[in-house]
Amino acid sequence: MNRVDSSPGPVRTRRSFIFLGCGATIGLLLAGYALFTARGTSTLVVPPEDVALVNQQPISRIDYVQQLRAVFDVDFEHATSDQRRKVLDDMIREELFVQRGKELDVASTDPEVRSAMVNAVELEIAADAISTQPSDQQLMDYFAAHRDRYASEGIMTVADLIFDVGDPADAGRAAAALASTAPTPEFISQWHAKASPTVGDEQFYFAAKIHLGDQLFDIAKGLGNASASAPIMRHDGIHVLYMFANHHPVPVDFATARDRVLGDYRNESISRMRAGDETFLRKRANVLIANDLR
Amino acid sequence: MAIAVGSRILSLMGIKSLAFVAVGLCVCAVTSSMLQKHRIEAQLLRADPAVLPKEAGLMSYAGQRGRSIFGQNCASCHGSNGQGDSTRGIPNLRDGDWLYGMGSLSDIEQVVNYGIRSYHPKTWNLAIMPAYGTLHPSPRDSKIPSLSPANIRDLVSFLLYRQGHSSAQGKAADVRGIARGAALFSDVGGCYDCHGPDGEGDPAIGAPNLTDRITLYGDGGPEALTQSITYGRAGVCPAWITVLGPVGVREVAVYVYGLALRGSG
Repeated sequence: MNRVDSSPGPVRTRRSFIFLGCGATIGLLLAGYALFTARGTSTLVVPPEDVALVNQQPISRIDYVQQLRAVFDVDFEHATSDQRRKVLDDMIREELFVQRGKELDVASTDPEVRSAMVNAVELEIAADAISTQPSDQQLMDYFAAHRDRYASEGIMTVADLIFDVGDPADAGRAAAALASTAPTPEFISQWHAKASPTVGDEQFYFAAKIHLGDQLFDIAKGLGNASASAPIMRHDGIHVLYMFANHHPVPVDFATARDRVLGDYRNESISRMRAGDETFLRKRANVLIANDLR
Repeated sequence: MAIAVGSRILSLMGIKSLAFVAVGLCVCAVTSSMLQKHRIEAQLLRADPAVLPKEAGLMSYAGQRGRSIFGQNCASCHGSNGQGDSTRGIPNLRDGDWLYGMGSLSDIEQVVNYGIRSYHPKTWNLAIMPAYGTLHPSPRDSKIPSLSPANIRDLVSFLLYRQGHSSAQGKAADVRGIARGAALFSDVGGCYDCHGPDGEGDPAIGAPNLTDRITLYGDGGPEALTQSITYGRAGVCPAWITVLGPVGVREVAVYVYGLALRGSG
């Protein structure tokens, strides 16, 4: 009876060791490659996107090239070795000082550093918020929800005539006369009135509100073209408003308002994200407040 | 013949050994390809942006990869061919007219890296177009005054005249409006401060040239100009450095650089 020899021969054993060795070498190569090129690992090689590592903190090549341009107005190709060295030295110095600043914890004492850090964190949150482009549908939904915000600015051409308080009847008669005539200089002089300096000038509503004040502006807004208000008693005299032309704010369509809608949408996203981040920071922080301030 | 050689090798080595060799070869091929990719990327990143356009091989490699990155990240605003959209103030990347910088690879790369008004600390954010038809035209400079509707009309007349539009020339009323607009431009309005005394803009701060007929918003006609002056403009491009990484940024910058070269002939 024949027996089958199942024990591995010398050739097979050698071959297995060779394959094992090859596999181990390849594995080590891959692991080494990954180890020394992965972000955040300590390395002796300066990554190609950087020009230097200062205690493993990279100095970016693009920042270096920009700095060369900013300082010497020259691109990398045409910069002399002295110029290159000077800029690199300055950038390394800056990085070293920043790192030393962190060690010294200057943020705890220097109000400017604190303010810069707060600002930088806020900017980062905002940068995250705007990195996502809202779709047109999202913008249209936002536009529909805030329709009242998107209107043209109203424009009015108004005269504010001021009569002496001594004779209220005069103001009343002048207001009645204004139903059929515009307040020309002759008219103003005939009724011994004073006129606001903006007579006949077109003004945006916000400007007219500043010039007239809230009370008169509210009345002016309601006047139609070529019409006068009733006399209005004020501390400085009796006012009569004459409206030459009043263009009320007109709601604009989405296409016209798109730019503003996008800006508002982004600003709201930023505010929301900032509030969310602040809530998160407060939640995870251990804040103890003195008894007298609780 | 080949089948005979294959059978001979199979009989000599055995199927398991052959499988081991095949796996080993695959691993070698993958490793070699990764090393090759790493080498080219390193070459691409170390290349001076001012000289890179002369390196045809690298430009072609980066351009092809940049095209795909552009399609995934930038095309939603700039359009699949980079043609932009003037109804939304998205710039045309093919016309060779640059708002920020002079269109060098380095300038383009800086915009892709840090964006425009992206809130990144290194972003391009030196100027915004004030909203002159509002109570507070500029959030940054309280000295910039609001303008009246008549002021804005005069400025529009002046700008149309500078661009050589025939409708803005001729009539006496227009001539007076143009003169008033010119005075506003170089005085109270403060337009000269960003757009330059000659109105030719300043690429260092992204202030457009107002004397050519290339427009970012709308058709550049009276309505679009009035909108821009009244409500202001402040376009935004996100900073892509954190999303794409340095290689991706350079590749997409190379692609955009190529788009502009092809587009402007």
